[in-house]
Amino acid sequence: MAYKYLTEDIIKKIDEYRNKFPYKEQAIIPSLHEILEKYRDIPEKSLEELAEYLKVPLSHIEGIVSFYDMFRFKKNARHHIRICRNLPCHLANYQSLLEKIKKLTNADVGKSSADGRWYIELVECIGSCAIAPAFLIDNDLYDGSNLTDEELKKILEKYK
Amino acid sequence: MDRIRERLGLPNLPEIYVESNINLLLRRAKENRTVGIEEYVNTGGYSALEKALKRMTPEDILVLVEESTLRGRGGAGFPTGRKWRFILMNPKPRYLICNADESEPGTFKDRIIIERDPHLLIEGMIITGYTIGAEEGYIYIRGEYPAGYKILEYAINEAREHGFLGKNILGTDFSFDIKVYRGAGAYICGEETALIESLEGKRGHPRLKPPYPPQWGLYGRPTIVNNVETLSNIPIIITYGRYFMNIGPVGFFGPKLFPISGKVERPGVYESTMDITLRELIEMAGGIKGGRKFKAVFSGALGVYGEKDLDIPMDYSPKGFGGTGTTIVLDETDCIIDSLLVIANFFHHESCGKCTPCRVGTYEQLNILKKFKNGTATKKDLDYLKHIAKNIPIGSICGLGYSAPQAIVDALEKFPEEFEAHLEGKCPAGVCFK
Ligand SMILES: Cc1cc2nc3c(=O)[nH]c(=O)nc-3n(C[C@H](O)[C@H](O)[C@H](O)COP(=O)(O)O)c2cc1C
Ligand code: SF4
Ligand code: FES
Repeated sequence: MAYKYLTEDIIKKIDEYRNKFPYKEQAIIPSLHEILEKYRDIPEKSLEELAEYLKVPLSHIEGIVSFYDMFRFKKNARHHIRICRNLPCHLANYQSLLEKIKKLTNADVGKSSADGRWYIELVECIGSCAIAPAFLIDNDLYDGSNLTDEELKKILEKYK
Repeated sequence: MDRIRERLGLPNLPEIYVESNINLLLRRAKENRTVGIEEYVNTGGYSALEKALKRMTPEDILVLVEESTLRGRGGAGFPTGRKWRFILMNPKPRYLICNADESEPGTFKDRIIIERDPHLLIEGMIITGYTIGAEEGYIYIRGEYPAGYKILEYAINEAREHGFLGKNILGTDFSFDIKVYRGAGAYICGEETALIESLEGKRGHPRLKPPYPPQWGLYGRPTIVNNVETLSNIPIIITYGRYFMNIGPVGFFGPKLFPISGKVERPGVYESTMDITLRELIEMAGGIKGGRKFKAVFSGALGVYGEKDLDIPMDYSPKGFGGTGTTIVLDETDCIIDSLLVIANFFHHESCGKCTPCRVGTYEQLNILKKFKNGTATKKDLDYLKHIAKNIPIGSICGLGYSAPQAIVDALEKFPEEFEAHLEGKCPAGVCFK
């Protein structure tokens, strides 16, 4: 079978995970991370390919995708902004940061921007409460305390 | 400046306050950079491993760890030596898992060790493997710590190249290796049996206990699960030997990390002995921000402390602070109800749904607190909230369900006037009803 989503580089990674752990099920979550990293999303079709490649039931993989927050399906946007809403970030008024980000990106919580550039998600504590309100853009962590509008704009501009 | 992070293509990790008055766990971790193996070895690193493997038997180490009074730093505070003694009754192969899921709200202490001094954890794991008779260790790190994952992989490779991991470590007949596995965003996977399920490539649903992991853990084999900070204490215990029992108060020897956030001048990670009080700890972090008045401390999602509790020690005695040491500080402009609502929302979101009382009860808690926040709650709601809080733990099978109402129960006891005021349509801090 020719794969559309499981490209050569991803398959190489999957094979590495297969060799690293004794059971093939243990390659599922690491492989989903690879897919997420590459496509910034988990395309539904990629799950079928992964099931086929690993020889595990599709339903098992779907169960995993629906269980773990990081794998929940979202509209395919190029950059994923995760703003923390748990207590320390709440006390530091993450809501105000969210409003600013919404304005600058034209995206909304759970909704991508029309140009497909941004997706915003509110998440639980990301272990960065000393820099509250903390936020992640893709894999990069940012300090939201004392952030000026100018600085925020500059940060967002880095992500095309 | 930081060659390792540069090589790994990691963006600069944000600066935070990291301070210590004893320099044990944080000895190499006060600066915002990753300590590589050369520097680690040049500053005494891996000498505890050498001492353990060449001059001590596993039983010697176990006795020392028992005497050290070390307790688990992942939340439950279980005596580490006792847990290790327990696994020895069960046959090999045995496994070691390091719990690096760190998802308790307000908790960011383990990541400092992982990102700045990863070899301290690795050395602790190797010695633990030797002591409990395990040849394979796993680190389960939360998916939201991508930098930590890369740094651990890198450091493990370094340790392998230097002969600290792999076959016949330091020329002895002990072999041990470590694999890192990433989570993917689920608080419940920090619970040790859910973690094991997740590590086996499944959904992270907790298992019924007993059997406990030391009897039936990873791949159905005897397994020890320990927190990052717990394991990082081991090289220090070995290095200091009996002198470890001179550090800190009797019964609670050794260093403890405290992640402090909220309304303090210098939020960050602080290391101290456990005779420090909550008040002193807040002072260590610069006191309340902007000179405002103290109101409360939330210990993550698990407990609420008021003015009267400020002189409790940060130890594991029945009256002590215990747990992970997580300290979220509220000042007079913050509202207890509003904060409880955030915590209730968290538990509702993170309940795995396996037990009905936990699934439904966390939802009901959330709805009642919403009513308190928007001013529609009645006396009946207050009674119902108390009723639910009592009943969630009874029908639950894991620590999430046991602790889901705890913050509410504490707040009802320590801040009854906040509930009363909200019933009358008043928010003392002026946060709600907007
Ligand atoms: C819902 C829940 C979440 C937990 N999360 C963590 C965690 O993120 N890190 C951790 O070390 N322990 C966590 N624990 C505690 C673990 O179940 C376990 O007790 C601990 O890892 C044992 O290690 P220790 O004895 O060294 O503390 C959690 C427990 C529960 C019930
Ligand atoms: S108590 Fe809650 S989180 Fe724990 S297993 Fe039951 S439903 Fe899941
Ligand atoms: S609460 Fe926001 S990072 Fe911890």
